[in-house]
Amino acid sequence: MRNRNITYCLLALVIMVFSSCKKEEKYHSITDKINAESKPYHGKLTSEELLEGTNLIKITEGEHTFLIPERKGQLKSYACIECHTQPVTQMYSESGQKAHWDIKLNHANGDAMNCTTCHNGNDMNNLKSLTGTRIDFNSSYKVCAQCHANQFEDWKGGAHGKKVAGWAPPRASMTCVNCHNPHSPGFESRWPAQFNSHIELERKQDLDH
Amino acid sequence: MDRRTAFKKLTASLLIGAGAISTSCSTLASDDAKEKAQIDWEEQFKGNYKLMSDEEKQDTINRLMRSYELRTGKTISMTAENPAEDVLFGYAFNISKCQGYMDCVSACVKENNQDRNSEMQYIRIHEMKDGEGFKFDKADDNYYHEVPVEGHFYMGTQCFHCDNPPCVEVCPVQATWKEDDGLVVVDYDWCVGCRYCMAACPYDGRRFNWSKPEVPESEVNKNQHYLGNRMRKKGVMEKCTFCVQRSRKGKNPACVEACPTGARIFGNLLDPNSTIRWVLENKKVFRLKEDLGTDPKFWYFMD
Repeated sequence: MRNRNITYCLLALVIMVFSSCKKEEKYHSITDKINAESKPYHGKLTSEELLEGTNLIKITEGEHTFLIPERKGQLKSYACIECHTQPVTQMYSESGQKAHWDIKLNHANGDAMNCTTCHNGNDMNNLKSLTGTRIDFNSSYKVCAQCHANQFEDWKGGAHGKKVAGWAPPRASMTCVNCHNPHSPGFESRWPAQFNSHIELERKQDLDH
Repeated sequence: MDRRTAFKKLTASLLIGAGAISTSCSTLASDDAKEKAQIDWEEQFKGNYKLMSDEEKQDTINRLMRSYELRTGKTISMTAENPAEDVLFGYAFNISKCQGYMDCVSACVKENNQDRNSEMQYIRIHEMKDGEGFKFDKADDNYYHEVPVEGHFYMGTQCFHCDNPPCVEVCPVQATWKEDDGLVVVDYDWCVGCRYCMAACPYDGRRFNWSKPEVPESEVNKNQHYLGNRMRKKGVMEKCTFCVQRSRKGKNPACVEACPTGARIFGNLLDPNSTIRWVLENKKVFRLKEDLGTDPKFWYFMD
């Protein structure tokens, strides 16, 4: 009699175990799923409608091809030679600064850079590299990439900076000067945009977990 | 009339049920009241969103839009886009870039019609000390001083949209599920407010409505999705949906768009050309509580 009861218990246990087995997912982890179902996206969703009206330029850097915003049209003071009729060194030293009262160089110390590090005193409508090569204003990221090589690699891949529109192709990334003021590129400290008075009240009443 | 009361009355007396039907046919009530009663009746007995056909989905959002119009006199635009094929949403967060500005929290509140009275927020930004690791018990997610503070870093958390979500497992009425594009969503009409999912979530991604959510009419986001930012009701769960009303149109979630430093990256995990894939393949990424096996689709990385 005892053996029969044990048998019944074992049978119930087996039934319970088998019936409660969880339905198996097709993939063991999210990484397996990504690898197995990976393929370039050519679906219906696209950013083209969102990008309409934006002036964009296609660039290729390494194995990455994407769009960036055009720059010259956004500069209020372009073309530069309308004011810069003389070389920048001459205009700067002669009785102090005349133009761009709002521009203060707060990028690196005076030993590392000055106006002529990026601007060509003899060709103010273009930027220049450290070796003197001409760089168009629309490709200003090339000036930044000379020193900020790590950030440039991240930006090319997409880990640095913001998108112009959505996640769907085609990719349109903001360039350096869309977020950073090149003359003072750091982000200022400021107050947070949000304060939750409910949480604060709960803390005062020792109700927060 | 809420669901439970309706069923009680129906089981208690057929006459009550007949009374509810007759309300729609009453010759004394105004046309608007009759239409509203009819809408309420049909909404009460619709099926789970998961089981609906596309026509049924369209019918229900038409009723909801009409109901809103009858109540407030204003119109909203509600959709019920299905998951796109070959899309699996993922998210990456750069801890080095986050400065604690909380622009993402504000944008999320506005975009997702979150309750203003209880100051509900899907996103939390934790301020932590450098060199001490991730100590969430010591972190402050409601600071009020100039940011960033010297010697501190900032880390955002929200719903991680796990690929093996424990909140879905525990739901007794299957009001929450994982869609084909990876989003974990809630059908607010099916939820009974038992809060099991809140207890099951290891990342504090779930929020409960203790009172009826209220948003000032001038601040209501009228671009809504059935599973996303339509107005909720008292006693139901809600959570981050990666802005389903935006992401299923090819846009970025509101928090990604609002972040001034670009710390947030959102994209299609199945597209090898997407930027989030580059992050996962080239950066040292990690996820919170990986040992639990929840498989969150929310990765953290540093410069």
